[in-house]
Amino acid sequence: MRYKFGEPSGRYIGHWGKYHVYADSISEIAPDGYNDLPVHKMAPGEFNFQYGPSTGGLMESVGITLTTPGELINSVAVDPSYKARSLKLKGKSIGEALLLVERINGFHAASNSLSFLMAVEDALDLEVTVEVQKARILQLELERIRSNLEVIKRLCEPAGFGVPTNQLGYLREKVSRIISGVAGHRFFFGANAPGCSRVSSSGINEKLSEVGQEFQRLYAGLLESKIFLNRLQNNGVTKDSLLTGPAARASGLRYDSRTVRGELPYMETPFYPVVREEKDCFGRFCVRGEEVLNSIDIIASLGSLKETVRTEIPKGSGEGCARLESPQGDIFYYVQLKNGSIEDLWHVSPGTLNIRAFRESMKGNIFTDFHFNWESFGIWISELGVVIQ
Amino acid sequence: MDIRVGGGYSMSNFWFGEGIRKGKKTERFPFAPPEEPPERPSRMEGSGEPYCPTQAIKDGKWDAGRCIFCRFCEPGYTPTGKQDIFKVNRTEPVLKKSFYIYKLDSGACGACNVELETIFDPQYDANRLNIFITNSPRHADAIVVMGVHTDGMKEALKNAYEAMPEPKLIISMGACSISGGIIGESPIGREKYHVEIAGCPPSPYTILEALARARGD
Ligand code: SF4
Ligand code: SF4
Repeated sequence: MRYKFGEPSGRYIGHWGKYHVYADSISEIAPDGYNDLPVHKMAPGEFNFQYGPSTGGLMESVGITLTTPGELINSVAVDPSYKARSLKLKGKSIGEALLLVERINGFHAASNSLSFLMAVEDALDLEVTVEVQKARILQLELERIRSNLEVIKRLCEPAGFGVPTNQLGYLREKVSRIISGVAGHRFFFGANAPGCSRVSSSGINEKLSEVGQEFQRLYAGLLESKIFLNRLQNNGVTKDSLLTGPAARASGLRYDSRTVRGELPYMETPFYPVVREEKDCFGRFCVRGEEVLNSIDIIASLGSLKETVRTEIPKGSGEGCARLESPQGDIFYYVQLKNGSIEDLWHVSPGTLNIRAFRESMKGNIFTDFHFNWESFGIWISELGVVIQ
Repeated sequence: MDIRVGGGYSMSNFWFGEGIRKGKKTERFPFAPPEEPPERPSRMEGSGEPYCPTQAIKDGKWDAGRCIFCRFCEPGYTPTGKQDIFKVNRTEPVLKKSFYIYKLDSGACGACNVELETIFDPQYDANRLNIFITNSPRHADAIVVMGVHTDGMKEALKNAYEAMPEPKLIISMGACSISGGIIGESPIGREKYHVEIAGCPPSPYTILEALARARGD
């Protein structure tokens, strides 16, 4: 297994139950300050405003409690458990477990399923060809482009910015259609298996380059739209270093699982981690915008990729882990296999650290900042609200 | 990276110009065939009794509301690209001029959530068919239920349904919501839905046409 249980080693990735995952180890020791989020004591004149769990204003069901004396937000609690789903994974074959893993977060199905499969391959000591590794990069980067377009679209929406909102929606749908052509499914469901990948990149570079050109124009327009930028700048400033994904990179931290050698061959592509110093919604917006363009370059460098033939899934035993960079940040899977069936499985979602950072960054802001700040973290509740059985 | 709009535009002129420059992007669907229908989800055709993890194939019949498009039954069964995988059990013609839907995520994976929003993107533009999203069940003509049953959302679902004025349609979107799919149980029970929109997740074409047909179009 690539990761060892023991003392904390490397930067913090996140936790599942009693396990805390670091860049180089799995430990039962939490990082300093992790459990010390101060409990807010209600002051005279303050009240709780409950938002959700079901509201048209949010993409998914989630309970948000804002503590406020009227305008200023003094504390935020986020409860992702309302829509918690029980996934019966234990005892399942790898192929059947994959059907559930893909649906832990359907919008980031490539990130979840590939991280799971790489953990399976680690457990079974399976070699993966360079062709398949490149096909995985293709999927992850297409997923990132679509996810980042979605976040930027959602940042424009609360600003009532109709033209860019619609045009970003148009581009996002264009990318969904590209994914459908590449993987036979708009969300990569059924496109992967251990050691193989049913994706083909034929004809996508031209379509992606059109998306890139159109996006570049929109992004340039947004960067000069002062009213829009005012909503993002100094909104939701992150305060500590327990961060992941675009939120970390927007805070000057060069955290990106794509830089890790030995997982996927990103270093042979034009990939670079986009790092900004602003720490706020604006920084997170810029990181995502630049990443759309970098992901298009990465895909163009992969060359032509063809479907690889599905091989028999070996029925071995062992334990394995894998981590990769989802659009939200590090995603980590641990699996234990017995004769080809799932004995144990757990995962670390980037949403845990992002919710923590969101809560901290929301303090001292006002109501109208809420939607911009929430959307800028790109949090997916489906991934957090799962109980694995 | 230094990116600039250039050309001495004021920003309001820039966005106005962008809106015009792009032109009309909306397809004629459902009044014309879909321009780029996805392979999956779409109507599956084939024969035999291959293994299906959701029992969507039984006695040689394919049940769209159970299918999660996992490809386990291929090549015995193959996707046809046909997007007509919905069922309308009750129509409300009174909603032709204005049809407000309230979305409820009972326990969805996120993909259904995104596809429902996608019908408002320029390629589909549900607004041109007088279909709108409302943020409150009190203003809704239909509730669109996504995802499986979860204990935590049971009450929210009941409250939302009770808050809706008559006539109200209950629309089930996605395999989870219709039959429980691969994950769990349907939040309401299949027999109670007025409209079933199949897929995992359903494609925006299927959603759009099903909503239009729910009004008797
Ligand atoms: S695609 Fe999967 S779920 Fe659908 S009928 Fe075939 S085996 Fe069953
Ligand atoms: S039907 Fe499929 S896409 Fe929709 S919520 Fe269920 S698993 Fe996700």
